[in-house]
Amino acid sequence: MQPCVTASCHTIEAESSVSASDDQTDIERVLAGDISAFEGIVRRWQGPLINLAYRFCRDHGRAEEMAQEAFLRAYRALGQWRRDAVFSTWLFALAANLYRSELRRIPARTVSFEDIAEPRDVRASDGGLEDHDRDLAVRRAVGALPAKYREALILFYFHDMDVTTAARSLGLPEGTLKARLFRGREILRSKLPQLLAMPRLKEA
Amino acid sequence: MRRLTEHDEGEINRILSREDEILPSSGFAVSVMDAVRREAAAPPPIPFPWKRALPGLVLGGFALALVFVTVVVAIAQLIRASTSAQFSMSLPSVITPIFGLQRNLEIAAIWTVLVLLVTFVSVKLSMRLASGRA
Repeated sequence: MQPCVTASCHTIEAESSVSASDDQTDIERVLAGDISAFEGIVRRWQGPLINLAYRFCRDHGRAEEMAQEAFLRAYRALGQWRRDAVFSTWLFALAANLYRSELRRIPARTVSFEDIAEPRDVRASDGGLEDHDRDLAVRRAVGALPAKYREALILFYFHDMDVTTAARSLGLPEGTLKARLFRGREILRSKLPQLLAMPRLKEA
Repeated sequence: MRRLTEHDEGEINRILSREDEILPSSGFAVSVMDAVRREAAAPPPIPFPWKRALPGLVLGGFALALVFVTVVVAIAQLIRASTSAQFSMSLPSVITPIFGLQRNLEIAAIWTVLVLLVTFVSVKLSMRLASGRA
């Protein structure tokens, strides 16, 4: 099974319930000394972990390196996973923690808000920015946010806008996460007023 | 600054929740498993030699405590000396510097002994740890 490697990654919760028993079986085998059983875990979760890393660093190569390190750490700490928690939640929390510290160590190449393209008058331009360009500009703007807002937004949208799971991945109370999400969106709004006010071209 | 409206929030939600997914490269799982096998094959990390280090640590702690006590005593004496100096103004001016000099020499000697002791302990400790590893 290859979860979440093609379309949207927002089937993680459903995938996790399907694969929970597979994870449990594989973990027991790994803990009993069968290293090859870890491959099942890697194959099931490589897509989500690489994609989460990519949202942090915006670099495919680095995302794979970070995901590999996350798997290695998960392998080392497998004995610490408590059975009362869902394995995927534990894995994402571990990965998110690692990605955050990696990004603090070597920051991703981001652009400042001033460098993010925004048309002076959207309606005047013929066609203006395509939807794709606008979406890209907003995503780049997320990368330029202060770390605490950026991380909150990344985890929130990665977990299909599930506040509880995102808060658990970040090790934050839900209220704090909500406040950071609100503030992060407000900064985006203030920095990209025209882009967000722009009607969607494909719908227009 | 315009506040965040429902439309803005909806737009941000729409854009950020529809992110394209990237596919892992074909050899990713294999490369992770190689790293995991290397990790499993590697010898376990050498534990810190607490047994060997304990006497040294105790001695080091003792030396530190000694230094602390000496410093406190020296400060207390300094304070006492400065207050008694106010009363000894009547003593002949030749006697006071002689006592002061002697006192300074004593303090310097104590410090030198302490520094030598700490150096000796740390050298012995590191030699002991190094020989334990060899």
